[in-house]
Amino acid sequence: MVEKHTNSNPEIPPDIYRQVESQVSGVVVYAPKPMEAEKETARSYACPNCGANTAYDVTAGGIACEYCGYTAPVRAVQVGRNADEFEFTLETMSQSERGWGEKRQILHCGSCGADLSIPLGALTTTCPYCASNKVNVTVCLDETLRPRFLIPFKITPEQTRSLAAAWLGKGWSHPDELKTNSVLRRFSGIYLPFWTFDTQVDARWRAQVGYEKTVRHYNAREKRWETRTRIEWRWEEGTVHLEVDDFLVTGVFPHHISHRILQRLYPYQMSGLVTYEPDYLAGWQAQAYEIPLTDAWETGKTAIREQARQACQQAIPTSHIRSFSMTANFKGESWRYILLPVYLAAYKYENETYQVMVNGQTGAVAGQKPVAWWKIWLAIAALLLPGTLLGLIGLPLLLLGGAGVIPIGLGLLLFIIGLVISFILFSKARESEAK
Amino acid sequence: MAEQLIPAEIISDRTSLGETGHQPAGCPHCGRVFLIKDDRIGTNCPLCRKAALESQSARARPGQPELILPFKVGQSALLPIYQSFVSAVWIRPDDFNPQSLLRRSVPLFWPLWLVDTDIRGKWQMEAGFNYQVESTKEVFAGGQWDSRKQIEDRIRWEPRLGKLETRVDNVALPALEEHANRRQLTGQYPLDKAQPFDSKYLGDALIEIPDLPPDEAWPLARPQVDRTAAMVCVKAAAADHSRNFTLTAEYDNQHWTQFLLPLYATFYTDDDGQPQIVLVNGFNGEIHGPQMASRKRGLQIAGIIAAVAGVFLLLALIALLLTPILAFAGVIAAMCALLGLGTGIAAIITVVQPAQWNNSQSPPRIVTRK
Repeated sequence: MVEKHTNSNPEIPPDIYRQVESQVSGVVVYAPKPMEAEKETARSYACPNCGANTAYDVTAGGIACEYCGYTAPVRAVQVGRNADEFEFTLETMSQSERGWGEKRQILHCGSCGADLSIPLGALTTTCPYCASNKVNVTVCLDETLRPRFLIPFKITPEQTRSLAAAWLGKGWSHPDELKTNSVLRRFSGIYLPFWTFDTQVDARWRAQVGYEKTVRHYNAREKRWETRTRIEWRWEEGTVHLEVDDFLVTGVFPHHISHRILQRLYPYQMSGLVTYEPDYLAGWQAQAYEIPLTDAWETGKTAIREQARQACQQAIPTSHIRSFSMTANFKGESWRYILLPVYLAAYKYENETYQVMVNGQTGAVAGQKPVAWWKIWLAIAALLLPGTLLGLIGLPLLLLGGAGVIPIGLGLLLFIIGLVISFILFSKARESEAK
Repeated sequence: MAEQLIPAEIISDRTSLGETGHQPAGCPHCGRVFLIKDDRIGTNCPLCRKAALESQSARARPGQPELILPFKVGQSALLPIYQSFVSAVWIRPDDFNPQSLLRRSVPLFWPLWLVDTDIRGKWQMEAGFNYQVESTKEVFAGGQWDSRKQIEDRIRWEPRLGKLETRVDNVALPALEEHANRRQLTGQYPLDKAQPFDSKYLGDALIEIPDLPPDEAWPLARPQVDRTAAMVCVKAAAADHSRNFTLTAEYDNQHWTQFLLPLYATFYTDDDGQPQIVLVNGFNGEIHGPQMASRKRGLQIAGIIAAVAGVFLLLALIALLLTPILAFAGVIAAMCALLGLGTGIAAIITVVQPAQWNNSQSPPRIVTRK
């Protein structure tokens, strides 16, 4: 008996499918072809009109030729916060731990035919022989560990210079030369690697919580009623739910770029995320990650669990807490590997190198500023002087009679106030220079 | 074994099972048809107990069944099974006792088809692949954090499609219209323990004739064959799960095997004189059937208990009247009243319990006793 049982099955195999290994003879299996990633070969950017070098132009929002005015839009999709996220599969984690797997790579220049040796992690380069801009994504061991999204530069180099000039000009404690320093001519735009993490945290805490209680009692010796405050301790517990969205961890080693300064450029508007297109990198520098996913996640987790601890402690209605313990269950963890735009500048002042960064999306500026220490010492001296003088005036008056107590007391008060302000001033000055 | 589907034909004499002496007989009440020995003619149908079996012609495949699962539970092993089955009911009909069930036990074999077929076609499905993700549990105690990794299992769904040109063997298909119900009432049988048919395994057992011959069973059976094909495709795709499986296929070169499964059928009569059929799996001793309580007996016992309660209440009344004369009569009156009340409640329970128990059996509760 021949029985035909028909359904509306498509022609097999469709174009987007390919044959895969079958575990049973007589059964042929087709699976979707893997998404063809942009072949990780160098892409040269030359103007189709005049042959000159082209690059991504912030104002034009696309590839532009500065000689003939040619422009071409970038075919990327704005995905924002809906950009794909990846799970922490054991496979990815192990892949991440193995790293890039090679120290340098050879890039063949399609314009002049030169073979260029470029360092591991560099995503773009300029051919030293023909000066053509090239964009290349370093060959990754795993398809998932290549940048898939980025936020394009929105701030032009010209805007950067004015923003930085305004920032450098701020404050009385810095050298006046900063406003005219050559730093303003040395900004370069670079896409830096970042990991973003999403997770939910279910935290459960338990602690002894102290409540202040005012008690009235009779003091037999003094023969009067008095009140005193005592703390009543009792065990309490509770839960806190935390939603963490797009927690940023940089993928560059701190000895290359100061993480402290970088964090002061936050926040980035993740709604500006677009799909990765090499065009955005044309003519700009770009760096692949140095800190692998596993290490970055450890950093992220450490910060997130502290957020959870603070949230738990804030849920406790008093400040008297002891024997605090908690568990934080992470769930739905996911990650993204993205590139974010930063303008970087390093400049020298009195033989010291200082870093300045500008957020390429929002224009936020952060960095190190040298301090004119003579101004700081002068200010500290001015702050301590009134108290010291009053003390000096009060001393002989004290020897002559009781009248010296008032200037000495006042002098001491002013000296302490001056000391506190001086300390803050000194700390801020140190912080301004710190890396 | 036939290489092609052999049509059923009318059999009307005892030659149908070779030298076993079995002949077709049917139940005029339920319509079931059996192959039985002469001495069974005129006995009640073992599966409905409503009418006597009468000699008749039957529509069946010629020749013997190919496979049989011999009885593993002998008649001697049935008594403890029935005792355990009966003991679950507190107030039961007189007829519901292990000895009656044993005396009325009738061994029989019921049929199942095993089909082998070539399948050629196209399929598609969503294939599920297990994978693991790493998660974290952070514990803070004594001012220190302790990080504990946790592994979670998840399923990744991916589309798969392909072609199929294979043969599936021994797909179990119904040979009776009431197959699903019968399967529920008998439990599972180990199909891998099948033996080639031999009349020595029959003894005096009846053989139930399929009322779904292969040509009628096939349309009902195709979903089962498709499920088997789906399992083959899941295995081929190295998937761990599947969903939304569809198949466009041609089935060819079918090969049907009749397989006999062992069963004991017995019965007891309930309060209304209706037979309640109890079935015992002849291979593993699983017993299934309604366990009816007796409302009549419940009423009888309740009457006796109520009479006792009445006596206690009467004594309580007498003691109450004697209270002005005897000081302790009040205590006795209270005690008798309490005893009367207690036994009265017991009488009510005895009336209500069988009805409630029987309600829980309707539709008949399938009780499994191993």
